[in-house]
Amino acid sequence: MGKNPLEQENAKRGAAIFQQSCAYCHGKHADGGPEAPNLIRSLLVRHDKSGDLIGPVIQDGRPDRGMPAIRLPADQAADVVTYLHALLSVSDSAGDSGPSSDYSLKLLLTGNAERGKTFFNRKGGCANCHSPQGDLAHVAQKYPPISLQARFLYPEGTPPLATITLPSGEVIKGTLVHLDAFSVSVTGQDGWYRSWPISQVKLKLEDPLEKHHQLITQYSNAELHDVFAYLETLQ
Amino acid sequence: MRLLLLLLLTAGNLCAQGLDPQKLLRAPVDTWPTYNGDYTGRRYSTLDMINRSNVHGLTLAWAFQTHSVSVKATPLEVNGILYFTVPDHVWAVDAATGRQVWHFSRTSHGDHLGSRGVGMYRDRLFFGTPDAHVICLDARNGKQLWDKVIADVTVGYYISGAPVVIGNQVIIGTSGDSADVPHYLLSLDPADGKINWRWDAVPKPGEPGSETWPDGDSMSHGGGSIWGAPTYDPEFNLIYLGTGNPHPTLAGGVRKGDDLFTCSIVALHADTGKLAWYFQPSPHDTHDWDAIETPVLVDGTFRGTRRKMLLQASRNGYFFVLDRQTGKDLLTAPFVKTDWASHIDESGRPVPSPDKEPQPDGVLVQANMDGATNWMAPSFDPQTRLFYVNTQTAASLWYLLLNEDHKPDGHQGGTLSDFWSSSQLKALDYETGKTVWQRDLGKGHSFSGVLTTAGHLLFSGDTSGNLFALDPANGNLLWHVYAGGTLSSSPMTYQIDGRQYLITPVDSVVYAWTLPPAQ
Repeated sequence: MGKNPLEQENAKRGAAIFQQSCAYCHGKHADGGPEAPNLIRSLLVRHDKSGDLIGPVIQDGRPDRGMPAIRLPADQAADVVTYLHALLSVSDSAGDSGPSSDYSLKLLLTGNAERGKTFFNRKGGCANCHSPQGDLAHVAQKYPPISLQARFLYPEGTPPLATITLPSGEVIKGTLVHLDAFSVSVTGQDGWYRSWPISQVKLKLEDPLEKHHQLITQYSNAELHDVFAYLETLQ
Repeated sequence: MRLLLLLLLTAGNLCAQGLDPQKLLRAPVDTWPTYNGDYTGRRYSTLDMINRSNVHGLTLAWAFQTHSVSVKATPLEVNGILYFTVPDHVWAVDAATGRQVWHFSRTSHGDHLGSRGVGMYRDRLFFGTPDAHVICLDARNGKQLWDKVIADVTVGYYISGAPVVIGNQVIIGTSGDSADVPHYLLSLDPADGKINWRWDAVPKPGEPGSETWPDGDSMSHGGGSIWGAPTYDPEFNLIYLGTGNPHPTLAGGVRKGDDLFTCSIVALHADTGKLAWYFQPSPHDTHDWDAIETPVLVDGTFRGTRRKMLLQASRNGYFFVLDRQTGKDLLTAPFVKTDWASHIDESGRPVPSPDKEPQPDGVLVQANMDGATNWMAPSFDPQTRLFYVNTQTAASLWYLLLNEDHKPDGHQGGTLSDFWSSSQLKALDYETGKTVWQRDLGKGHSFSGVLTTAGHLLFSGDTSGNLFALDPANGNLLWHVYAGGTLSSSPMTYQIDGRQYLITPVDSVVYAWTLPPAQ
């Protein structure tokens, strides 16, 4: 993801001018009002190049459609144009790369922390590996809420441990690097990479995430929000 | 008079070197003249020179490096030349040697997500571009003959699908989902690109289907992208097409209703583009699970009765068997475990559970946005009577994004956190939808399609970059090779000068495989 185009200085200035001079009719988000069109979907805005189409509409209005002339100074009109183009570009890619890291806790916090604690200790079996005083102490401070919600459901980045038994009987332990239908490779305890044809070795895997993997297919929606509410109490 | 005769002879020669339209009506033998090999979409080749007993000796014939992005096209092969695309580029390559014949390129704005290939009419090629042009090239030399703009790139339209030539019509549709626009399929004249007819995936107020939308505004931004290539039945003269999902993709609240004809399988009269029937695999989709997966045309027995059927493994995780003359549903069965539908209604449609629609606090669904399968080609093998499809299981959290005015925020009004996914190749019994055998393809997903052949072979690839040949009867492994990247499209095959070739696009390289020459 590149820089958010709405953060450009001239787009920010344009946003302020828009709120003052345009939002009353076109909406705070430029997505239209009862009397004025949605500008994110407007063909005129989409076809505009550096204000060649938007500029005259701002300056002269559209008397035939009831839009008055706004008559902004040229530099302010240019800032509004920059803002509108930034808004289109953000709207066209919004949500494509997952929720933003500043996603509102208030929206996420719909569960019941007490019920979540009970699930943690009983049905979920979370307490078998985790402790609110130990590894989870202050966990709610460590991660933004949206990341905490994703991480408890499926923490990433912990590779399985592999135990490889060679035809000679030699046993090698390491962290799994790659496994497919034809080969397995590990980083051994000595730090060296090694690989074998899968048909020639015996392989045992211990996946520390196995319980998470099972739970994610079993949670009800209420349960997962309860657990999240409970984890958010671990400030 | 002699000059005229000479001209006629020359023209005759040109036709002889071009594509005989009759070839399109038969299963592919020495050519692969259209996106799916033939109009049925079965992706089954009658070639058997490479077969179950000798495929272990399959070896590299040549490799063609495009120095480009992933090849998502299925090449056509006509008269010894392969034609394939990536966005903005078309190559003609000697199908026996891998040497370039010509290369056409241009630059464009617009979405460069993928290009599925060309269509061919006699000595002309057609392809779609990221800025929503359809361009016609002279197949002999790659020279541009015409260029037709079919949609407005500034509102996010582009073309990913491969044009399909039916009679003297070039059938192509619009793609794109970044700006909430309605989509359509066109029939163009191969001579000059003139529009013969247009079919709109979303109706206008008052038209049939409009009752499934709240108002005209929601319809005019309703989506229904035409990402894929249609199939065709010459007997009924019907074009079969799967349509894309409704927009805004994840925010269903502003488009309450079934949202026809999005996420639908439609049959269109080939001469007029008029709708003959429709069936909607995903009414009111809110998960981006389009129904563009190949509508595969199969004739055979269904529970004791001879039927002309249409088979689709849809992105929503359900396998459908329809009567392709009437559109009546004969079977609806899940082919992966999924939890988004509450039940199957009396017409065979899965009915979405409202509590699996995206919500601001996140909703857990046992699937992700890529769905249970996707645009990559499935295959039907008439020898085993099994349907083969690359499938995916996953879990993800779906968020509804609304602004303070409770309107969808951004073009799709939502987003998701994706957790894990894994892929399996499945062989389905079309009479029950049950899995007869399956092979794990590994963690994650790929867009690897499937090819079956009369040599009792199935070709595809896994998520780790291994290409393989299996026995389609039982899934037994017969050949494999690590090709340095995943199979980025669907394999195809052809025969030239007594040798059969298998083509596998792997990222930016097109590999050709063959048997060693006889000693």
